[in-house]
Amino acid sequence: MQRLVLIFAIAIAASTSIAYAASLNVGSWHLWAGAQTLTKATCTLSGTTSTTDTYVDEKNPATTAGGSTTLSVGPKTGQRTWAFVRFDLSSCSIPATGGADSATLNLRITTAPASTRTLDVTPVLSTWDGTLTWTGAQALTYGSNFATITTGTTSNVTKSVTVTADIDALIKNGGANFGWRISEASSVTNVTTLFGSAENATAGNQPQLVVSYEK
Amino acid sequence: MKLLAKILGLALAVAATFAACGAAASLALGSQALSAGNASVTTCGVASLSTTRSVDNSGNFTQIVVSSVPAACAGETLSVTLVNGSGGPLGSSSAVVPAGGGAMTFSGFGTVSATSLMGFEYAVAGA
Repeated sequence: MQRLVLIFAIAIAASTSIAYAASLNVGSWHLWAGAQTLTKATCTLSGTTSTTDTYVDEKNPATTAGGSTTLSVGPKTGQRTWAFVRFDLSSCSIPATGGADSATLNLRITTAPASTRTLDVTPVLSTWDGTLTWTGAQALTYGSNFATITTGTTSNVTKSVTVTADIDALIKNGGANFGWRISEASSVTNVTTLFGSAENATAGNQPQLVVSYEK
Repeated sequence: MKLLAKILGLALAVAATFAACGAAASLALGSQALSAGNASVTTCGVASLSTTRSVDNSGNFTQIVVSSVPAACAGETLSVTLVNGSGGPLGSSSAVVPAGGGAMTFSGFGTVSATSLMGFEYAVAGA
C-alpha cells in the first residue's frame, strides 16, 4: 500500500512538471511599463525685466508709450486707447515639455473710470514691443476675446484674469502668443481706465503674472 | 496483490501525465493572455516615454501627446494612466501604436484638474 501511494505521488509530481515546462513555450510577448513623475512649482513675474507693456492712442497714431508708468484704455471713438502687456517666461526655466496648471494675470487699476467699464482681454498672436504705435497695432494679429475685466469705479484695485491656456501654449511654443491687448469696443463715452505699467515706481502697481506649472 | 498495486499505480501515473500535457497544450493553443503562462517577454524597443499635456483655460487637462514611440512597437497597445499624488488613477486611455510609431495623442480622460495630475504611467504590450 505504501508503494502505491509513493507511485501515485511521483506520477502527480511528474505531470505537474510537464505542464509547467509546456507553459514556458506558450509564445513570445512584448511588455514594457514605465512612469513619469511631474514636478510642480510656481513662478511670479513682474517688473521691466520680464514684462513688456505699452499703450497705443488712436488720436496720436504714430506715438509710442513704452516708457509710460500707466497703461490707458479708453473707448471714445477717434480717441481710443488700447493697452498691451506680455511676459518673458525664460526666468521661470520651464521646459517646453512642461505646462501650466494655472496662470493668472494681475493688473492694477491706478485710476478707475467714472463709470464702470467692461474691457476685453484679447490674445495677441504676432510680435510687438514697447515701440508699438496705434498704426502698428492695426497690423497685428489677434485671437478671440476670452475674458473681460469689469473695472468698477474704485481706484487702486487689482483685477485678475485667468490666462492658463495662453501660458500653457506659450510654454510649449515661445511664439504661440505675445501677451494680451486690453481694450473696449468703440463708443461715444469719454472715460479712461489707467492701469499701472511695469515702469510704475510702485511695485504693487505693476502687471504681474503668476504661473503654477509642472515639468 | 503487489502486482495489482503496481499496475494501478502505473495506470494512475500515465493518466495524470496525459491530463497535465493536455492542459498545457490547450494553454498554448487557446490563450492570448500574458498571465496565462511563463511566456518569453521582451520589449519592443521602448527605453522611456515622455509626455506633453495640454490644459484649457480652466486648468483642466485636455490631452496628452506621447512622443517618440518606437516604430518597432507598431501594432502593439500603448496604455496611459494619469495618476494623482498618491499614485491613484485619475483616468486612462489606450490605443494601438500606428505604423512607424512616433507621436500619439490621447484625450477623453474626463474632467481632470491639471493641479491634481502628478504623473503618468505607461505600458506597451503586444505579441
